Amino acid sequence: MTDDHSVDDRVPPRNGLDLSRRDTLKGGAVVAAAALTGAAPGPAAAATDVAPLPSAPRHGLRLQTTVNGTAVSVDIDTRTSLLDLLRERLALTGAKKGCDHGQCGACTVHVDGRRVASCLTLAAKLEGREVLTIEGLSEPGTLHPMQQAFIDHDALQCGYCTPGQIMAAVACVAEGNATSPERIREYMSGNICRCGAYVGIVAAIEDAAATMGRG
Amino acid sequence: MIPASFPDRARIDARDKVLGVARFSADVPVTGVLYAMMVPARIAKGTLTGLDTAAALRVPGVVRVLTEADFPAPPPVIENGPPPPPPTLEREIAYRGQPVALVVAETLEAAIEGAAAVVCTYAAAPFAALIDSEGGVREMGEEIVFGDAEATLASAAVVVEGEFLSPTQHHNPIELLATTAVWEAGRLTLHEATQGAGGTRGMTARALGIDPGVVDVKSPYVGGGFGQKGGLGQRQTALIAHASMLLGRPVKLVTPRGQIFHLATYRPLSRHRIRLGATAEGRMVAMQYDAEQEQSRHGIFPSAEYHETTSRMYGIANYLGTSADVRIDRQPPGWMRAPHPQASGFAMESMVDELAYRLGQDPVALRLANTGDVDFRTGQPFSSNHLNACLEEGARRFGWSSRTAEPGSMTADDGSLVGWGVACGSYPSMMVPAVATLRIGADGSTRYAASGHEMGQGIRTAIASVLLESLEIDPERLEILIGDTTAAPQHITAGSWGSAGAVPVAMRAAARMREAVAELLDGREIAGNLHRRLATVRRPFLEIEVSEVGPGQGQDVLQALQYGAPAVAGPAYPTFTTMSYIAHFVEVRVEPTTRRVRVPRVVSIVDCGRVISPRTAESQVRGGVVWAIGAALREATEVDPRYGGYLNNDLADYVVAVNADIGAIDVGFIDQPDPLANSAGLKGLGEVAMVGASPAIANAIFHATGRRLHELPIRIEHLL
Ligand code: FES
Ligand code: FES
Repeated sequence: MTDDHSVDDRVPPRNGLDLSRRDTLKGGAVVAAAALTGAAPGPAAAATDVAPLPSAPRHGLRLQTTVNGTAVSVDIDTRTSLLDLLRERLALTGAKKGCDHGQCGACTVHVDGRRVASCLTLAAKLEGREVLTIEGLSEPGTLHPMQQAFIDHDALQCGYCTPGQIMAAVACVAEGNATSPERIREYMSGNICRCGAYVGIVAAIEDAAATMGRG
Repeated sequence: MIPASFPDRARIDARDKVLGVARFSADVPVTGVLYAMMVPARIAKGTLTGLDTAAALRVPGVVRVLTEADFPAPPPVIENGPPPPPPTLEREIAYRGQPVALVVAETLEAAIEGAAAVVCTYAAAPFAALIDSEGGVREMGEEIVFGDAEATLASAAVVVEGEFLSPTQHHNPIELLATTAVWEAGRLTLHEATQGAGGTRGMTARALGIDPGVVDVKSPYVGGGFGQKGGLGQRQTALIAHASMLLGRPVKLVTPRGQIFHLATYRPLSRHRIRLGATAEGRMVAMQYDAEQEQSRHGIFPSAEYHETTSRMYGIANYLGTSADVRIDRQPPGWMRAPHPQASGFAMESMVDELAYRLGQDPVALRLANTGDVDFRTGQPFSSNHLNACLEEGARRFGWSSRTAEPGSMTADDGSLVGWGVACGSYPSMMVPAVATLRIGADGSTRYAASGHEMGQGIRTAIASVLLESLEIDPERLEILIGDTTAAPQHITAGSWGSAGAVPVAMRAAARMREAVAELLDGREIAGNLHRRLATVRRPFLEIEVSEVGPGQGQDVLQALQYGAPAVAGPAYPTFTTMSYIAHFVEVRVEPTTRRVRVPRVVSIVDCGRVISPRTAESQVRGGVVWAIGAALREATEVDPRYGGYLNNDLADYVVAVNADIGAIDVGFIDQPDPLANSAGLKGLGEVAMVGASPAIANAIFHATGRRLHELPIRIEHLL
């Protein structure tokens, strides 16, 4: 590979929040990288920087929220969706844009434990909330039972809808809606898989629900 | 050497995909990126007379608005060369939604606001939006003729006839069209979701008048292609590339779905008139088939290919096929999964079902008696044809023998009408040239680079399957580079030739590597895997390069491959014809009052030659069946006759199959290697998976209700 020096190919760190990208060390919004969830807390929390907004919007605000267990403080354009905040500002590209209209489910994340379409959620509404994305679903080097079940049942093809399917599936089980194939199909119908992996998705959720103990 | 069968293996990139770390083109992090948004034309035809960018430029964060004046003139057409690149920005408007300007801004929000603030004025011209609109121009395609269909039909004991319609449909992969261009130090890198990185490279270079040698295209993961991200190129690519070159910064565009409906290709609406003749015993002897489709003014999606499969399926010796384009004012249609056979198969398999009823024969038995070993179109034998085995195995698994033939004769406990239908499909099995390099390191690494694009069909897993079956290497450190012009020349991956282009060359690479290792070790017995053996003889790495071409292709096609031009062989090879086959068995339930149609179970048995990656192959067939269910019962794009463009241009109104629409889909493979098609013995799979499943649903609905429906999609209102 040549001339790729502006492309940052590093694997995201454990919480998925790539807050110390070298290109963003220009000052700007400060993030307090608080202790992370999980068994092995990282090094002492250090103040790192999120890329500042490259141009001042007409209407901006400072948002304080929590993403994958990390406190985030960031200046945003008030129009920014949660999906665009995650993808374009926080380098969390697991949640995907499939429609930007709340119609496909590819952007599904959890806010305070409930599944939401992040494309339809204004980032500004996240003040004080907790956001969980696919990057924060499992501890580094491990898989959530739902992720493992998706592999085992080949519940994906292109993989583009997959992070949204998995976040929706985890919520589906937690809601108590994974009690039968029919119910799973109904409660997973907000997540379109154009590749047509539905048979595998239902099997994976049934399987993981048993492991997760909320079938 | 082909293994007797390949083991079940997890999808090689599944882990990255479930972790959300597989990087699709819009996920690639790029420093200092600018965001782009296109401004679509609001008229269906005419001229852009004015473009006021003042308000857009006042939006905080907007950096520049590119217009037609910023782009070079279109390149000259190359005689017999590759298809021309899509136009950049032009003042002449050929269809509603054509881009007329490109707004580039520091943030996505500013780009969106800026695009909305551009003010355009137009001189509108009369236009034709629909196939039957005034102003459409009819153009006949190539005729497919063999035997004497007219005379045979005139004397046939039984003739069934009908006209069928397949609607306009859009691919709608969940991944949006996305391009990020990075112009830096004299090189242009395009991160783009494309099924043809090589073609994208060539087309972008030609559109902008730059040397293709300075263009790199990377498309390692495609979030669903289905033909949308394929052959004709994407209109936004050169716009974004040029913007990056003008501004000296990376530029990124993720095209909104509503715009994609108007920009990308689509399955054109098509109509099919068939007359099918048979003997009193049920031997199909003649067919006359006239197909026509909507087409753009300069589109190249070929109408004659509706005959590609219908002319070969049932050993019909007398065939008269015509085809026509009706040229209207829309963007070009293109190849969408199972491009022609989805529509032609619906027409033909509905007719075959009707023939069975007319003759009082079982529709499975009728088909079994009509398949053959000879391609009457060329007079050549098929290299393999296991359609009968598909039918027999499908009937067994489905329990077909307990079906009662009379329409409306089967009901469920809840009062639903039960319909059991069958239909077959076939699809050309084609082959493309490929070049591959394989490097095995003493440090435990393996790097394989070749042509191919991973769109979910499992091509990376199939390659891994071959390499891991034939070489003792560390699977954890196997890197497979595809969809990347910096790694290997990239042929477009489409038309179900992905495996044929990827697997035989991988087998050849593995064989060559084994030879190279044997030469190196020169008889010495060394324990351990290949990495270990290299380390023992202090050889840092071994690297080999191999190439593969299709039957009948010369080495010159490798040249075409270098330029990203298509170089496809088959299905009619010099001495044989190769087709893939499938038989679908479908149960439908029709609610007696609401007439809602459900598809609780499907059995699909496939002859795709040798199966290389059983797990991903099974998923691919299920996906094809899901597509067919969507196409049969839900999907149609509504063209606006008043203003051009599409009315249902989002996923709420363009209804694809969702989880609740899908029941059980049982998939089986004959798994017999084709002896001639290629050294791997495989035949194509992705398209044939869908072919025939929509008519199987239509036939099941006939069985449930007695209603033979001639138009897709079949909706509640058609059954009331
Ligand atoms: S991108 Fe949010 S639902 Fe489709
Ligand atoms: S895996 Fe491709 S859209 Fe679901």
